[in-house]
Amino acid sequence: MRWLFLFAMLPAPLSAQFSLYVCMTVTREYVVGAKLPPSGLFLKGADGRWQHAGYNHPFIFSLDYDPSDPSILYLAAGNGLIRASEHGEKWKILTGSDVTELRDVSVDRNAPGTIYFAHSHGIRVSRDRGATWEEIGTTLHRKFTEAVRADRRQAGALVAGGEEGIFRSEDSGRSWHIAGAAGFQVTRVEQSPHDGCEWAATTQGGGVFASHDCAKTFENTGRIGVGATLYDVAFDPMDVKRIAVAGWGPGIAISEDGGKTWQSRNTGLPVPEVVSVIFDPVVRGRVYSSVRDDGLYVSNDAGRNWSKQGLDGSVINRMKFVPSDVGK
Amino acid sequence: MRFAVLTFVFACVRLHAETPSFEQRKLAMIDAYAHHNGSGDYGYAEIAAKLWRHEDAAWCSQKLEQLLAAGPTGDMFWMFPVTSIAYVDRGQLTESARQALRRSWRTYMPYRGDTENHFLLYYTCLYLMSQMWANQPGDSWYTGNSSEQNLEEARQWIEAWVRLTTTRGQGEYDSPHYMGVYLLPMSYLAAWASDPAMKKRAAMMLDWLIADYAAENLDGLFVGAHSRVYESQLVEPWNGVSSDFGWLWFGAGRPLAMPDNYALYYLLSSAYEPPEVLKQIGMDRSQPYTHRERKRTRNRWRFHDELHGPVYKTTYVRREYAVGSDQGGVLQPIQQHSWDVTWSVPDARGVQNTFFTLHPYSSVQELQTYFVFNPDGATEGVVKSKKTYDSPDKFLGGSPFEQIVQDHDTVIALYDIAPETRFPHVNGFFSRDLSEVVEDKSGWIFMRGGASTYIACRPLQSYSWKPIAGGGRRLFSLYLKNGFVVQVAAASEFPDLASFGKAIAALPLEFRLDPVPSVRFRSLRGTTVEFTYGMTPRLNGVPVDYDHWPLFGGPFVESEVDSQRLILKHGSFQRTLDFKNLTVADAGN
Repeated sequence: MRWLFLFAMLPAPLSAQFSLYVCMTVTREYVVGAKLPPSGLFLKGADGRWQHAGYNHPFIFSLDYDPSDPSILYLAAGNGLIRASEHGEKWKILTGSDVTELRDVSVDRNAPGTIYFAHSHGIRVSRDRGATWEEIGTTLHRKFTEAVRADRRQAGALVAGGEEGIFRSEDSGRSWHIAGAAGFQVTRVEQSPHDGCEWAATTQGGGVFASHDCAKTFENTGRIGVGATLYDVAFDPMDVKRIAVAGWGPGIAISEDGGKTWQSRNTGLPVPEVVSVIFDPVVRGRVYSSVRDDGLYVSNDAGRNWSKQGLDGSVINRMKFVPSDVGK
Repeated sequence: MRFAVLTFVFACVRLHAETPSFEQRKLAMIDAYAHHNGSGDYGYAEIAAKLWRHEDAAWCSQKLEQLLAAGPTGDMFWMFPVTSIAYVDRGQLTESARQALRRSWRTYMPYRGDTENHFLLYYTCLYLMSQMWANQPGDSWYTGNSSEQNLEEARQWIEAWVRLTTTRGQGEYDSPHYMGVYLLPMSYLAAWASDPAMKKRAAMMLDWLIADYAAENLDGLFVGAHSRVYESQLVEPWNGVSSDFGWLWFGAGRPLAMPDNYALYYLLSSAYEPPEVLKQIGMDRSQPYTHRERKRTRNRWRFHDELHGPVYKTTYVRREYAVGSDQGGVLQPIQQHSWDVTWSVPDARGVQNTFFTLHPYSSVQELQTYFVFNPDGATEGVVKSKKTYDSPDKFLGGSPFEQIVQDHDTVIALYDIAPETRFPHVNGFFSRDLSEVVEDKSGWIFMRGGASTYIACRPLQSYSWKPIAGGGRRLFSLYLKNGFVVQVAAASEFPDLASFGKAIAALPLEFRLDPVPSVRFRSLRGTTVEFTYGMTPRLNGVPVDYDHWPLFGGPFVESEVDSQRLILKHGSFQRTLDFKNLTVADAGN
C-alpha cells in the first residue's frame, strides 16, 4: 500500500490512468421535496459514457479520494460527509445531525486517515477515517467556510477560505491566521501540483489571490473577476505556468504565466457563466468546464475552443480526476 | 372525490351552528381522504387513511407497491407518509408490500433539507423506522448505518430541537402553513415512540405548539407576525393549514374545503385533542389581551456573529380584531411577515381581512445570510418556487430597513431605506374587503374592516395608489425615509367612522423624517409612544425592555427564556409543563 501512497504524492502522475468524477445536480426545476432528476456523483466510463454512481442526491459540492485506496471517495454533501467506496457505489454517511450542507473536503496527503471538511458553520477533522470528528473552526470569527485544503507540503498545515478571507493554520486547526483576501468571501483554494508553495484562491468580487510563499500570504493577482464571482481555479498538471479560473461573467480565463496575466477563452461556450474547471492530468491542453445548467464542455487546446461533452441541463459543482487503475 | 369533499364541506357547514365534536371533526377530515372516490389521486395519503379505517387492504397493498415501484421522490415529504403507512398497517398490508416499503429505505436516499421543519420530519421518520426495523445492519439502510446508529442520531437531534425550542423558541416560528410539519412529527412520536421519555416529550411538545397558536388565533386565523407564510394566505388569512387545525382543535372558523394532509397525518397518529385549558385559550376573546413571545431567527450562516438572533413578538387580541408585530428587520428569508391588523368576520373564506405595510426587499445578501447559496442565480433559483420574491409589488418579506414598535393596538412602522436597494419604495396592502376608506385632510387614512373594526393609518410621506390584481389597492410611496402610524379600535367604541376619525386626528402626533424617521404619538389607549429609527422605542418614557422579553408572556401562556417550563392558564385551569423533568402538572377543573 505504501507505494500507492507515494504515488499519490507525486506532483504529476505520469503513468496512472484516471477517471473523471463530477458532482452534479439538475436543479432547474428542483426544490427540496420535488422530484429530482438524476443528480449526484457521476463517473465518466472507459467508453466515454457517464455513469451515475451511488444514490440520487441534490447536493454534493465536492469530493476527494483516499490516496491509499482511490476506490474510496469522500463526498461533501447536504446529508453530511459521505464515504463512497467501491468507486462511488457504496455510500455511508460518516457525520451526524450536527453538521449540514458541506462545502468542501480534503484528505490529508500526509496522513490519508485524516479528512477535513468545510461546512456551513465551520471546519471539521477526522483522524480516524471518519469514525469520529472534531470541530476546528471554533476560533474563526465567522464560521461559514467554503474551501479547505490540507497542505501536502507541511503536516498539520491547512488553508481555508470563508466569509472573511483566506486563513492558514499550522497547528491542525487549533489556531487560524488571516493569509489574504480579507473581507472577501472565498470560493475555492487550490495548491499547485508542481510546487507546493504555489497556491491560488478565488473570491466573490475580489478576483484571484495567489500565494508564492507556501500559503503564508496571498495577494491579488492579475485583473480577472474583480466585481464578479469566480467559483473555481485549476492548475494544469501538464504545464507549470498554466492556470484556469471559472466565473460568472468572466467565464473561463487562462493564464499562461502563472497568474500574472489572463486571457478570456470562451469560444464555444453558450454563456460565460462557468462554475467549475479542471485540466486533464494526462492529455496536454485538455480542459473541462461546467456551464451553469448546461452540463460539461471540453477543450483540447487549453480553452481556445470548447465543445459540448454531455450531462445536459446540469450544474457541476466540482470535478476531480481520480486514479483508477490502482487500489483494487 | 367530489362526493367526499362535498360531504366534508356539507358536514362542516351543516354542523357549524352546532359545532360538531372533536371526534366528528376528526373523522370527517380522515374520511375526506379515505373515502375519496373521484378522479384525483391522493396516493400515500389515501392509503394511510384507508388503512387507519381498516378498509380496502388489498387495494392499499397494490397501490403502495405501485407507488414505490415508480420510485420514491420528495425527500422528507416522502418519509412522513410512508412512515405513517408503516405504523397504521397493523397487519393489513401484504408481506410483499411491506417488504417493498422496507426496501425503499435502503434504495432511496432522501435529502435531509435545509430548514428546521425538514430536519424534524427527516429525523422523526428515521427514528420511527429505525425503531420498527431494529437490529438491522448498515447495508440495509440508505444511511449506511445500523438501525441503532440511525435511532441514536435521530434521538439526539430531536432532543436538541426540543431543548432549543423550549429555551430560545422556534426558528421557523408561527407559520400558518408550516405549523403542520411540526405538529405532525410530534404527533407521530407521541403515538408511536417506544421510549417512554421520547413519547412523553413529544406529547408535551404538542401542548407547546398548540399553545403557541392558541393565543394568537382569532376565529381560527393565525394572526400577527409569521416566520413563513405564502402570499395566498398572507392576504387571505383563512386560506391555509392553520384553518384546519383551528377547526379541528377548537371548532373555530372553517377548515379548508379539502383538509391539508398535514392535518390528516396528525390525526392518523396521536390525534391529540387539546386539554380544556388550551381550548379556552384558543376561544376566549371576552377580554382584550396582549401576548408576547420571543422566538429566534433561522440559522444565519453568514454576516452575523451569532447563529441565531432574537425575535420579539407582540400580539394584541380582542374579539373584534388582532394586531401583531415583530421588531422588524430580516429575521427570516423570503417569507417573513412582520406586522398586520386582522379583523374578525363571520365567515373568513375568501375574505382579505388584513392590513399591513412593508418595504419589499430582495437581495443576495439576505439569501446568503440564511442559505449556503452562491450569489449568481440565487435569486432566480428562489423565484422558481417563491414567485413574488423579486417583485416590486410584493407583500411578503422582511426588510433590514424596517423597524416596528407596538403597544396594545397601536403600531408604528418606520423605514430608512438605503438608496441602492433593489426596490426603493414601500407598499401598503389595502384589501378589497375594507368596507370604507377615507383619505382625511389631516393626513390620516380611516378605514373600516368588516363590521367590527376601525383602522387609522397615518403615512408619514405622500403616496399614490396602484391596483392589485383581483381587487384592492396598493399604497405606493417612493420616499426612502418613511413610516406609518397605525391605530385600531373596535367599531363599538365609536358611533361611526367619522367619530373615530375625529378622535384619532385629535391625538397628539409629532414626527420628523430627517436625519432618520422619528415619531412621538399619544395613542388612543393613552400611551405615549416615542420611536426613532435605530433607537430603542419608549413607551410612556420607558425604553422597551427587550432584554427581559419572555419566551411567552401574557394572561394565558407564560414561559421564561431558558426555563424549559411552560405555564398554561385560564380561569381555574392551569397546566404546567416542565421539559427538564418531563412532568405535567394540572390544577383546577
